[in-house]
Amino acid sequence: MATPATSSGSEHILDVRGVTKRFHGLVAVNDVTFHLRRGEILGLIGPNGAGKTTLVSMVNGTMQPSAGDILFEGQSVRALPAFRRAHLGIGRTFQVMKPFPGMSVLENASVGALFGAKGGEHSLRRAREQARESLEFVGLGKRITQRADALGGPDRKRLELAKALAMQPRLLLLDEVMAGLNHVEIEEVIEDIRKVRDRGISILVIEHVMKAITSLSDRVFVLHHGEKIVEGPTDEVLRDPRVVEAYLGKKRT
Amino acid sequence: MSAVAGGIGAAVPGNGKPLLEVAHLSAGYGEMQVLRSISLTVRQAEIVAMVGGNGAGKTTLLRAISRLIPSRGDVAFDGHPLAGTTADDVFAMGLVQVPEGRQLFDRMSVEENLRMGAYRRRDTPAITHDLDRMYAIFPRLADRRRQLAGSMSGGEQQMCAMARALMAKPRLMMVDEMSLGLAPVIVDLLLETMTRIRTEGVTVLLVEQDVHAALSVADRGYVMETGEIVREGTARELESDPEVQRAYLGDIAL
Amino acid sequence: MKSTAGIVVSAVVVALLAALPWYGNTVMLQFGISVLLLATLAQGWNIIGGYTGYASFGNSVFYGLGAYGVAIAMTQFNLPFWVGMLLGLALAVVFAALLGLAVLRLRGHYFAIATLGLAFIMTAIVSNLEIAGRNIGLVLPLLKSDVLFYELALGLLVLVTLTVLWLSRSRFGLGLVAIRENEEGAAVMGVNTTLYKVLAFMLSAAFTGLAGGIYAYYITFIDPVGVFDVSLNVKMIIMAVFGGPGSVLGPVVGAFVLSTISEVLATKVTSFASMFFGIVIVIAVVFMPRGIAHLVENFRRTGWRYFAGNVRTHRL
Repeated sequence: MATPATSSGSEHILDVRGVTKRFHGLVAVNDVTFHLRRGEILGLIGPNGAGKTTLVSMVNGTMQPSAGDILFEGQSVRALPAFRRAHLGIGRTFQVMKPFPGMSVLENASVGALFGAKGGEHSLRRAREQARESLEFVGLGKRITQRADALGGPDRKRLELAKALAMQPRLLLLDEVMAGLNHVEIEEVIEDIRKVRDRGISILVIEHVMKAITSLSDRVFVLHHGEKIVEGPTDEVLRDPRVVEAYLGKKRT
Repeated sequence: MSAVAGGIGAAVPGNGKPLLEVAHLSAGYGEMQVLRSISLTVRQAEIVAMVGGNGAGKTTLLRAISRLIPSRGDVAFDGHPLAGTTADDVFAMGLVQVPEGRQLFDRMSVEENLRMGAYRRRDTPAITHDLDRMYAIFPRLADRRRQLAGSMSGGEQQMCAMARALMAKPRLMMVDEMSLGLAPVIVDLLLETMTRIRTEGVTVLLVEQDVHAALSVADRGYVMETGEIVREGTARELESDPEVQRAYLGDIAL
Repeated sequence: MKSTAGIVVSAVVVALLAALPWYGNTVMLQFGISVLLLATLAQGWNIIGGYTGYASFGNSVFYGLGAYGVAIAMTQFNLPFWVGMLLGLALAVVFAALLGLAVLRLRGHYFAIATLGLAFIMTAIVSNLEIAGRNIGLVLPLLKSDVLFYELALGLLVLVTLTVLWLSRSRFGLGLVAIRENEEGAAVMGVNTTLYKVLAFMLSAAFTGLAGGIYAYYITFIDPVGVFDVSLNVKMIIMAVFGGPGSVLGPVVGAFVLSTISEVLATKVTSFASMFFGIVIVIAVVFMPRGIAHLVENFRRTGWRYFAGNVRTHRL
């Protein structure tokens, strides 16, 4: 169990230190270090295949790092399985969504309320209320009795978010929530994420839709071929030639 | 249309006739509208680049053209409208896709994969002849012809995927994200073979995230962003166009 | 869906069934015992297969363990029946816990195959145990009271069904369904999937073992090949799936309906009984793959299109 770091201690809700992930000789994430401050929205960007999802999977426990440590609110969670990290307050949405297709929308969100932070609610009634609240927040209030697999694309994304919110997380990891949305929907989700932050939840946003990154994150870091190449204020990072090269490729003569 | 003697492709190079015409193509998955009214043209013997960030809709565009997903709008190949055709028909007409992630038959050898590309052809002597041409264009594959496709490196797999597509004698080859996960050195190698392929008479539509790689071999290019074409022009024009950077990294980058 | 009307209807049905010994004949009574035990097995399987989504082919092992628990206690140690039941229960549950930890980390088909192997392993082991009478088996003391066994079986069925009812509206049950629908998603949301799966397996084993215990005393003679029979496992799965896995009454209805059909076919169309039974199953799988329970729920909404819809979904 690591002791909280000296100057950054309680300010950082998440501290990722030297994390590496190897798969059979392929290094997907290489010695990445970053932190997330309480109440902050941090952006994570990088071209396809950069290792962003792998990195996030190691934070929420879906994957274990090959090396390095992960501290959540000062304590090491590296050895904890995913469900324990959920109890501690780490919530996540998935790029490839993971709804419970045979259950209703309300039941889907209820699972989050029943098993989420601090082990969740034990009262079904209270859990349902919490779930209802999360669903209203994302705009699915009218669909709570529908089956999850009957929802269309954008609604599925809303459900994914509601499920994570119903867990009452303190740290929310959003993996490409904007993919496939039109301009109007993007604006709506940006607004929702702002409201989530206003509730005191710290957020890590992985995105390709740059508009979301520029609207939401104050800070951004960039992953390319598994390594962190740049970190800093959003507008600086997006102008950095290394980032441009990472996305557009090397200029050829 | 008779094949150029000794050539892989069946197109007559250089006459500038439109081979692929896409007009107001819209497509998506269920409620999610990914492509919004896309229009583009690819002429015979051209290499056209389609660039854009992840999530711009490039792969969806190829799938819509190949008739793998339903779409609205008009797509015509060599003057024939593709409405009502299936993916099989499109392949038979000579429109072949090299999909993202290669999609090789991992447990078959390289040679078996290449032969699978020629599955629909009946001209056996020409198939053997073409196999030799493939090994000439891709010497690395010649060394590995009996090796299991799934055991090769990423770059070699990409070569195998392209060779397999070429074995089908395509008139237009659409390559999806060739450079993904490959080292720049390998990508350069593949780009070289692209120009060789063009001299054989095959037209190429190159869908790529790596802008500079794609534009280094292309004649013309289109830039996609959030399902729309936001820029088009010659490769030279696009190379230095700040709009391209904006399409990837947003307004703040300017 | 379980309103006061539902409760009243269920109570009436149970009362009618309990009264069978007084208005039915011996044949019906014996048929009744067989059906009630099968329904219990189907319902027990429902817990691990229907709700949790892990299709176990090893439940016949728990059945056999329950049977042997009673047989060994009564024949080797002269203990009363209810002690034997406790022994059988303990054997089944402990075995499920140990086995579960090992085998529940396997997904889908692999889990099914692993549990399938168990029945054969168990048969081999028990065939060599002196205390279990080896492959000759054990002969239990005779109790000529079909009525007692009938009521016991009915009581057990009511108990397991009430348990499944509790599952359907409890936090634990919702966790199991979440595991079935998307195990990784469930884990990420805080469900202790390993613990829950093992508990479900133990619960399933408990009722299956108790059914085996009743069966042993009723039938008076057991041997390894007979009680660890995999075809029994297949039967319970077919009944549960036919009736509606993941529903409260589905497996019970499935067991009753299929047993009746099977019985009727056996008496009326003896020579082709098995074939007809097979045809019934195939038709059911094509036209109502989610079982009777789902059919009943959705028929009101979609009407006859329900069947056509299912046929279409199969044609990929």
